[in-house]
Amino acid sequence: MKVKVVINGITFCEEISPNTTLLEFIKEKAGLTGTKTGCENGECGACTVIMNGKPVRSCIILAAEAHGAIITTVEGLAEKDKLHPLQQSFIRKGAVQCGFCTPGMLMAAKALYDRNPAPSQKDIEEALSGHLCRCTGYKPIKEAIEDAFNSHYN
Amino acid sequence: MGFSIVGKNVERVDAYEKVTGKAIFVGDIKLPGMLYAKVLRSPNAHAIIKNIDFAGALKSEGVVAVVTGKDFNHRFGIAVADQTPLAVHKVRFAGEPVAAVIAVTEKAAAKALKLIKIDYEKLPCVLYPQNAVQKDAPVIHEKFYQYKLAPWVSPGGKNVYQHFKVRRGDVDKAFNEADIIVENTYWSPYIHHVQLEPHGAIAQYNHDGSMVIYTSSQAPFVVQHCLSELHDIPLNRVRVIVPYVGGGFGGKSDVTIEPLVSCIARAVPGRPVKLLLTREEMFEGTVVGRGVYSHYKTAVSKDGKILGMEIKCYLGSGGYADYAVNIVSGIAMSATGPYEVPNLKIDCYGVYTNTPPTGALRGYGHPEAHFGAERQIDMIARKLNMDPAEFRMKNLLVKGRKNAIGQIMTEHSGRVDVCVKSVTEELFGKPKPEVKGNITIGRGIAAYMKMPVMPTNVQSGAIIKLNGDGTVTMSVGAIEMGQGSYTALSQIAAEALGIPMEKVHINTEVDTAYSPYEWQTVASHTTWGVGNAIIIASKDLKAKLREAAAKVLKVDVDKIVLDGEKIYSRDNKEKMLLWSDLALGYTSPKGTAVTSPIIGEGYFVARGLEKPDPETGQGNVAADWTFGCVGVELGVNKDTGEIRVYRLINAIDAGKIINPKLAHDQVMGAMVQALGSSLSEVLVFSDEGKIRNNDLVDYKIPGLEDVPEQVKVIFVETPEETGPFGARGLGEHGAVAVSPAVANAIYDALKVDFVDIPITADKVIKAIKGVD
Repeated sequence: MKVKVVINGITFCEEISPNTTLLEFIKEKAGLTGTKTGCENGECGACTVIMNGKPVRSCIILAAEAHGAIITTVEGLAEKDKLHPLQQSFIRKGAVQCGFCTPGMLMAAKALYDRNPAPSQKDIEEALSGHLCRCTGYKPIKEAIEDAFNSHYN
Repeated sequence: MGFSIVGKNVERVDAYEKVTGKAIFVGDIKLPGMLYAKVLRSPNAHAIIKNIDFAGALKSEGVVAVVTGKDFNHRFGIAVADQTPLAVHKVRFAGEPVAAVIAVTEKAAAKALKLIKIDYEKLPCVLYPQNAVQKDAPVIHEKFYQYKLAPWVSPGGKNVYQHFKVRRGDVDKAFNEADIIVENTYWSPYIHHVQLEPHGAIAQYNHDGSMVIYTSSQAPFVVQHCLSELHDIPLNRVRVIVPYVGGGFGGKSDVTIEPLVSCIARAVPGRPVKLLLTREEMFEGTVVGRGVYSHYKTAVSKDGKILGMEIKCYLGSGGYADYAVNIVSGIAMSATGPYEVPNLKIDCYGVYTNTPPTGALRGYGHPEAHFGAERQIDMIARKLNMDPAEFRMKNLLVKGRKNAIGQIMTEHSGRVDVCVKSVTEELFGKPKPEVKGNITIGRGIAAYMKMPVMPTNVQSGAIIKLNGDGTVTMSVGAIEMGQGSYTALSQIAAEALGIPMEKVHINTEVDTAYSPYEWQTVASHTTWGVGNAIIIASKDLKAKLREAAAKVLKVDVDKIVLDGEKIYSRDNKEKMLLWSDLALGYTSPKGTAVTSPIIGEGYFVARGLEKPDPETGQGNVAADWTFGCVGVELGVNKDTGEIRVYRLINAIDAGKIINPKLAHDQVMGAMVQALGSSLSEVLVFSDEGKIRNNDLVDYKIPGLEDVPEQVKVIFVETPEETGPFGARGLGEHGAVAVSPAVANAIYDALKVDFVDIPITADKVIKAIKGVD
């Protein structure tokens, strides 16, 4: 079957087998490896991308379901040579250790960032719910997201 | 000593790549002509392989080859050579590789896997070490006596491949003289590292007998050595490349899947073969951690002095022992906890079990030892009617006291007493939180110590190349797996060279073909070992700069002054050179070459360490000890059994802190990980030995919602005599004493003593009902 997906502004029109996941499509057809495969079961959040404005776990969505969708991955977060405020704050606040959960965390935060300029603590916690990190103890990630909102909107 | 870069919170050097998706992990690598492998694993924990029929799989679309144990019947293992990459004749744990399919796509390989038929004859299995040593337990390795063993391996008894002893003083006398004797058994279950990045490797075996392997490993040089021996290839023809590693925690140390992938690759010479483990395979198909049953008996005088301890520990090591043999000594040498115990009898046994192999897991024997040791302390204090902190203070390993293996503490060893005092003040100095509902608050502490469990002669190296513009490019053999080493090491280099941080670049990929040798990235020894190597390499680089400058300026070397990046003669400051003038070799105005390009190199090895005495365990084994103390404040909901940790405090004496922010986050991350093993994490086995919770829903690691409101890390910075700028290791230490501190706090709340972890809501409810 043929599927058309726009990823980070580039249109991909590809022949795929029906059981291809969106994650596989992103990695194999679009050649973007920033999105990470942690569990292939929607349990860890590492493969999160933004699909039509909402964060989704690309490992449990079929590429066919994304036909016609607009997708943003971690590679689409920065604007030319300027990092997104979230990327900047992740660096500043040391929200990164091994880096494997980072792309998913960033995309979950970006989806929140785009729809809610003044999220509460609870909104941030909900956005990160089900996103696993084994290195940081989460606090630096939460602080980085808060910091990105504060520095951008204040 | 004033520092300009050490001790500062510089940003991580790897953060940019990681926030942009540019950081490359093994799973991201695609090589020309690459094939894909999938592995068929045993569903049985203990069984004879009667027959393997893979004819159907071989005919399946896209399949290139099928590999079984018959194709490669060679055993590997550095200490105990007891394992083949694919099972031969017998399987010893559920999850053991039995066959592999190589195909043009991963999906084709997975499809063909289902067509392989295997006949097994099931054998009785034994899952827990305390059962495996019993007379009626099944024998897991019938031909153990034929295996190649390292000299320090000392088997003895049913399924016991290693028996490590510590002997000091007269234990019988201590127990005869004791006023109080406290005796308990403890259990730290099998748990998993749950690194977010699953293991993966790509191996290529070539017709000329060479091999290249990309792997998510903490130990490229161990992998190189192992594959060289296993395939009988010279070391210089085995190339191991490690890109970024997405979390290790010990689970990617030594060798793990590399022998398997390398042996699969032999079936298709000239073609790279990629194997990425699924999450399910991560639980059952590679190493797990802990699995320690221990029996503690402590003799104490009525004035609160520990007189003696008799400890027996059994480490369930899984079907293969090589990954666990040194954990046995790690447990034994730390079994007392951070206390002076004049009379000791410690026996620690490494025991085969029909579970996935047990390997290193953040703490390497110390957390399992401390769970018993630090629970004992609180129970003894209660019997003495003494405050637990006060009882600890009387016995702590402070300056002048001797530890279990006979090392005497000095002023450089770290101040465990200060750590205990700091945590006590912080924990008890604040009012208890106000809570609603049927919640009772508890507080507890646990002190700890940890040594780097490693051979006595481990080497770390650094190469610092001076570039034409005066910047430097540094290579080390240590792996960046999230712990922040490359940032701390860059700081050490900048400090030692006297140049700004921006002028130091560290190569983020380790390649045995180009990188300096490194034992492996374990034991929290990178800052210490590699940091020292960097200081040596920096001195070498600066000495070479001085020599070159002396030639150029035509003065004696001892007159050359290195002032930051400027170089001049003491007698004539006008004639000044910059590092960049000398970096690629100096050429005179006439065009004559005068000096050579400059590279600094340094290797570090600890001096004066020795192996423990085989009968007494005594010896100068530990390069250093990092001491600390954990404090926990929690609430137990008596209706639901739910435990909520409000405050988690850790005071650690890790010597000079190179980067406080990174160090803080290492300790915090380790504590949160250990909170998981205290409250929720356990691998649940069926009676048949199959892991029942092999996914991230049923194996519950902490999420954001589980993190305590307050996590406080207090650094006590007693400089380490042998460390770079006074630094000691700290990567694992945050995890060592969380479980006993949690259990001690739960006793404070409920007056119930838990002797096994995790302490789940179910267990709490049962205990409350039992008590009421």
